[in-house]
Amino acid sequence: MGAGMTRKNWLFGTALVLTVATAVTAQHGAPSKPVREYSPNLTADYPDRVYFGDTHLHTSYSVDAGMVGDRLGPEEAYRFARGETVTASLGHKAKLRRPLDFLVVADHAESMGLGPLVANRDPLALADPIGRQLIDLVAKGDVAGAYRLQAKERNAGRPVMHKDEIRRPIWDRIVAAADRYNDPGKFTAFIGYEYTSAPNRNNLHRVVMFQDGGDKAGKVLPLSAVESSDPEQLWAYLENYEKTTGGRALAIPHNGNLSNGRMFDDVTFAGAPLTADYARRRQRWEPLYEVTQIKGDGETHPLLSTRDEFADYYRWDRGNFGTELKTPAMLPREYARQALQRGLAYEAKLGVNPFKFGMIGSSDSHTSLAGTAENNFFGKVSPMEPGGGDVRYDESIIVPMDKMDGTRQFGYESLASGLVGVWARANTREDIFDAMMRREVFATTGTRLRLRMFASWNFTDADKDAPDFARTAYTKGVPMGSDLTGSGAAPTFLVEAMRDPDGANLDRIQIVKGWIDSNGKTHERVFDVAWSGNRKPGKGGKLPPVGNSVKGATYTNTIGAPVLSAYWRDPTHRAGERAFYYARVLEIPTPTWLAYDMVQIGQRSLPKSARLVHQERGYGSPIWIGSK
Amino acid sequence: MLRDQLRAAVKEPLVHFLLAGLALFLFFAWRGDAVDPESRTITITEQQVERLAASWAQTWQRPPTQDEIDGLIRDYVKEEVYYREGLRMGLDQDDTIIRRRIRSKMEFLASSELENEAPDDATLQALLDKNPQAYAPDARYSFDQIYLAAQDGAAARAAQILAALNKGADWQKLGDAISLPRSPEAVYRTRIATDFGEDFAASLAGIKPGQWAGPVASGFGLHLVRMRAVEASARPKLAEVRQKLENDWRAQTVKDREAKAYQTLLDSYTIRIAKP
Repeated sequence: MGAGMTRKNWLFGTALVLTVATAVTAQHGAPSKPVREYSPNLTADYPDRVYFGDTHLHTSYSVDAGMVGDRLGPEEAYRFARGETVTASLGHKAKLRRPLDFLVVADHAESMGLGPLVANRDPLALADPIGRQLIDLVAKGDVAGAYRLQAKERNAGRPVMHKDEIRRPIWDRIVAAADRYNDPGKFTAFIGYEYTSAPNRNNLHRVVMFQDGGDKAGKVLPLSAVESSDPEQLWAYLENYEKTTGGRALAIPHNGNLSNGRMFDDVTFAGAPLTADYARRRQRWEPLYEVTQIKGDGETHPLLSTRDEFADYYRWDRGNFGTELKTPAMLPREYARQALQRGLAYEAKLGVNPFKFGMIGSSDSHTSLAGTAENNFFGKVSPMEPGGGDVRYDESIIVPMDKMDGTRQFGYESLASGLVGVWARANTREDIFDAMMRREVFATTGTRLRLRMFASWNFTDADKDAPDFARTAYTKGVPMGSDLTGSGAAPTFLVEAMRDPDGANLDRIQIVKGWIDSNGKTHERVFDVAWSGNRKPGKGGKLPPVGNSVKGATYTNTIGAPVLSAYWRDPTHRAGERAFYYARVLEIPTPTWLAYDMVQIGQRSLPKSARLVHQERGYGSPIWIGSK
Repeated sequence: MLRDQLRAAVKEPLVHFLLAGLALFLFFAWRGDAVDPESRTITITEQQVERLAASWAQTWQRPPTQDEIDGLIRDYVKEEVYYREGLRMGLDQDDTIIRRRIRSKMEFLASSELENEAPDDATLQALLDKNPQAYAPDARYSFDQIYLAAQDGAAARAAQILAALNKGADWQKLGDAISLPRSPEAVYRTRIATDFGEDFAASLAGIKPGQWAGPVASGFGLHLVRMRAVEASARPKLAEVRQKLENDWRAQTVKDREAKAYQTLLDSYTIRIAKP
């Protein structure tokens, strides 16, 4: 752990700073309020609104947040997300420019609530022998020792205070906070948690989210990695939840890039070959994948997509959580684009596609603050908030264990990402959850650009220009996340991207196609389908860059376009082909959070590899063809 | 009336807190353990300030700023006050853990019952009356809009279309395609800012209902707008914003009770701070 307190493993091996939170008392969540409708467009027969949210936010109730300085609980998290000013843990005031529409507080289920229990010297903690030791260590100022002690206990298979009589009041509190802040039509607060499975420090984490209020979700306790690290057990838990409560739930995996080949593995957790039943259950319980977040972007990798000039975007690809280096062989089982391709191959073999998911982004912030704008980024964990000094850049987020120094990832490599955009009819738990189940969602790297795509066998170029093109699109085709059934000469697509109305213009829309050939071999190709200005594709069809208007921490919308749309017909289609298509939209170059920091916080020297300019992006959910 | 006030007062945790303190004070006074008047003065020496700063620096790996030092001192004073109050309760070991435990216990007394407490309507109504603006819903707008893509000559095109509209052209057939609602119906201003951008939302306030107006610029291009109805931000009724009031009341009351209880105790101390 090095000298003093700053060499830490933010994941599970670090220091504890006094946290302030209210005491835990037992109380069951109030039943969710009856839905008060807001949108008169509820009568619309198709989803015509975009709602932005974060499904992956940690508060002080997560051990690796509350024991390392995050003082804010779920209520503050909701207040911030819905647009109010809150005081961040290091004392800076924080506010979003525009509120989010929804938030899932997703605290780690393992030793949930330990931070506030220790900080408050809660009677529950005082009554526990290790809890008492932690309190004493913290009281003596040995916060690092406290974190080490809980990590040691956890690694020995004895997660501190992870027992039902403590988990119950903690979960009740989380549930009650969501129910109190859920405001149908205006702001949706989802009940959720993170299932933190990481066998041999390979990331298999999942966020679990419930559609329901405390009347249902309050009846269960979170299934955690303490009970089982096998995601199949999580699916069984979700199935049982729905059966016993009549509620609905789903799981969202993330950070395959830190799984060392296990996220989209060729075998089950237990090492058995994949079966149709496994594929069916995975697809059923995991309809989404969190493809972009602070710890790296997981769409694809330059070694996998060698002809994709935009493939190298914040790749955190040095290893797992600090015990094993990455090898190229692991990559295809880690990234979304290749998982989607391999899913097609599995479908051909098993009859069911195990890797059939929509794309979302979320933050995975451990500061209770869902801020993903480059000029409003509070860092991965509270010590990395603005005002924390160079820790913000120099701190290790992936801390090498067992001398595996090559796995280290630093704070300055963080990506101020991401958000999920949902196409729905109203901002309610039910409508947003429905949209997620049908995968009519897209990911952004933190901006509020909008993206939608439709497929049909008979769209025409004129369809994209109809003033109300969405109605046509839904009538003649299917939206993102769907199967396009039937057949025709070639699939046709309508795709539209709108910039963040108060943000940066767009460079281009691309359609990424993945397919398997008659030998079962997987392929991918990226097509530019709409772009700004009068650029002409050059040699090999390559579109010239959009340009760059960035100066320091400013940019202008003198390049790019505010709206792009296209009608596109796949020129490479073969009859009966099994394929998927998803849209990727790129913004014009803009300053990164580091560039804003240089102005807002002050100049400092950063490593050469630090990014100061980037092209933010959105990923749409795929549309599949050829599923039998 | 007085009885009601008394009855309400008896329910106040702060009153419990102060009564408990008074009882202990009387008990010790009666027992003869007179409180040393000197103990009502808290002196922070330079060395103590340096110690606080050093301990902070050990945690954060940099020296604290002046603001942070002030915060540390305030925190220390608070701890000292609670500590001495705790001593008056009979715990007289000078032990860090006990000091901090006493502090947290005293804070807990000030706010413990809050989680299960439900504020009555009068309390919430008072909160609402104090700041109705904060709870008032946004203005809501109903309008039709025609989108014109941002390109050269868009303004001239807008003028042509406006002229055509004034001659009775069918607006539904005009303009360019975009995934924005063409006829938003009673939509909150915040939502309009989210969908069209802040500038567009701000412009709406200046458009009178009835005629086609514009062009109005959004984040995407130009729009011709026909306002149909504006519902000004109305004073909200308690029932409409009850949950939000209750959330705010709970968040604020935790802070207030603790601060009030502490202030009452702090007022009886003299604080002297020597800064290095």
